[in-house]
Amino acid sequence: MTAIRVSGLVSRYGGFTAVDGVSFEAARGEVFALLGRNGAGKSTTVEVLAGFRRPDEGTVRVLGLDPAGERAEVRRRTGVMAQEAGFFPDLTVARTIDTWRDFTAAPRPRAEALELAGLTAKAGTRVRQLSGGEKRRLDLALATLGRPEVLFLDEPTTGMDPQARRATWELVRELARAGAAILLTTHYLEEAQRLADTMAIMDAGRIVTAGGITQTLAGLRGRVAFRLPAGVDPAELPLPVALDGDTAVCAADDPDLAAQRLLGWAAERGLRLTGLEVRTATLEDLFLDGSAR
Amino acid sequence: MSLAATYRLGLHLFWRDRAMLAGSVVTPVAIAVGIPLLMRNVRADGIAAATDSFYGSTALLLSITAFMNLAVVLTGRRDQLVLKRLRSTRLTDAQILVGEIASTVTATLGLLLACLLAVHAAADVPLPPDPVAFAGFAFLGALTMAVLGAAWTAAIPRAELAAAMTVPVFLLCGVGAGAMGPIAALLPSWAGVLFDLLPTTAAARAMRTGEVAGPLVNLALWLAAGLGALRLWFRWEPRRS
Repeated sequence: MTAIRVSGLVSRYGGFTAVDGVSFEAARGEVFALLGRNGAGKSTTVEVLAGFRRPDEGTVRVLGLDPAGERAEVRRRTGVMAQEAGFFPDLTVARTIDTWRDFTAAPRPRAEALELAGLTAKAGTRVRQLSGGEKRRLDLALATLGRPEVLFLDEPTTGMDPQARRATWELVRELARAGAAILLTTHYLEEAQRLADTMAIMDAGRIVTAGGITQTLAGLRGRVAFRLPAGVDPAELPLPVALDGDTAVCAADDPDLAAQRLLGWAAERGLRLTGLEVRTATLEDLFLDGSAR
Repeated sequence: MSLAATYRLGLHLFWRDRAMLAGSVVTPVAIAVGIPLLMRNVRADGIAAATDSFYGSTALLLSITAFMNLAVVLTGRRDQLVLKRLRSTRLTDAQILVGEIASTVTATLGLLLACLLAVHAAADVPLPPDPVAFAGFAFLGALTMAVLGAAWTAAIPRAELAAAMTVPVFLLCGVGAGAMGPIAALLPSWAGVLFDLLPTTAAARAMRTGEVAGPLVNLALWLAAGLGALRLWFRWEPRRS
């Protein structure tokens, strides 16, 4: 069942068009990643979906509702972790959660929210004394306090340490398994690749690539990279390569097969391919390719 | 429930913000109690002078504790994106603003009543002839000034300028109600007419005399203007450019 539907969305700041005709859908239980460089229009899209801005053109629906016109109902059923949002700096972590519990329908118990954010030990600490990563975790705890049906996560793990990042990923998976639709924007492509089922790459306000992550990556070429042995002319290699400094990079549909061929060629000549790296396509390849358009 | 929660939160934060307390509580209370006490002891017409200065200083209390405090606090919360975070909850925009305004009005009303009792006890300022009118116009004055303070945030480009941009307002209100001595008497007569139109002058007059009709119309018009401005121009987030 479709939880988020965006159709022909246009959003402008004065004369600047931040989002220019974007369309996509996300279903319940799905993690949808919106990727792109800074200024690509991701956060503006999230702001429209969260009801902070009205679309200038096009339509958006969250759980079948207009987020701007039916904001109260949409907010009751959604969670928002905005890229930037402030706290009351003089409140403690526990008091902040208690306050937000008052603003949330059927909230999690305070202890559960603290544990979920990994902030139990910081319950009595004032928010102004938290690190950037801890504030982000508190942010996540507040966004998920009401077990939302749709969750908007705008750069959720920025500033988090690796442990907190993995805990966040686990929580996102858990919420998706429970049936929540999750719209994720992130600069960490590994994060998107691990979490998301589908994705769209935005550039200059438009979607330049979209689809299921597994299927999309399966359609991309992998790569074999190695340090070019001294005295070897790249033209002598059995496969075409591109040079990145002293590293030769060979794009291949089947990188394992390409690596075998290159290694066999080197063995015949008594050469070693040092720094050999063989991998299938990643989202980073797709992102760099898509953003470069 | 949510409105009660924002109200409680606003009151809690009002009394916890030590920097703001110095400006929005200690200073106006010191003026509203200290000056009448001084007048009582140094002037021949001590009680009358103390009474004049007390009711004049109610305009300062209204313009500082209600207007300035709310304008500064809301601008700060807007620029720190706290208002944006509140809007991501199930709270409606009205609940957020009403909670903020109601907590400021409560604090202002409490301070006005406390100051009245203090100057009555310490400076022999007589209790108001109509206590109901005093309480009613203290409330209406605080409400009007708080709404105007919230609306004024639209004119404040950033939080650092908030306090400075409210100073002219409380200076005008203070002079207009006579809290700063007989400055108004030195100005052209048309200035006096304009000062009489200020909401704080009307509220101070009603609290002192029990006059209802004129001050009620004045405050109702200012309140309507403030609500209209809030609806049209209030910004929940800082400008992006």
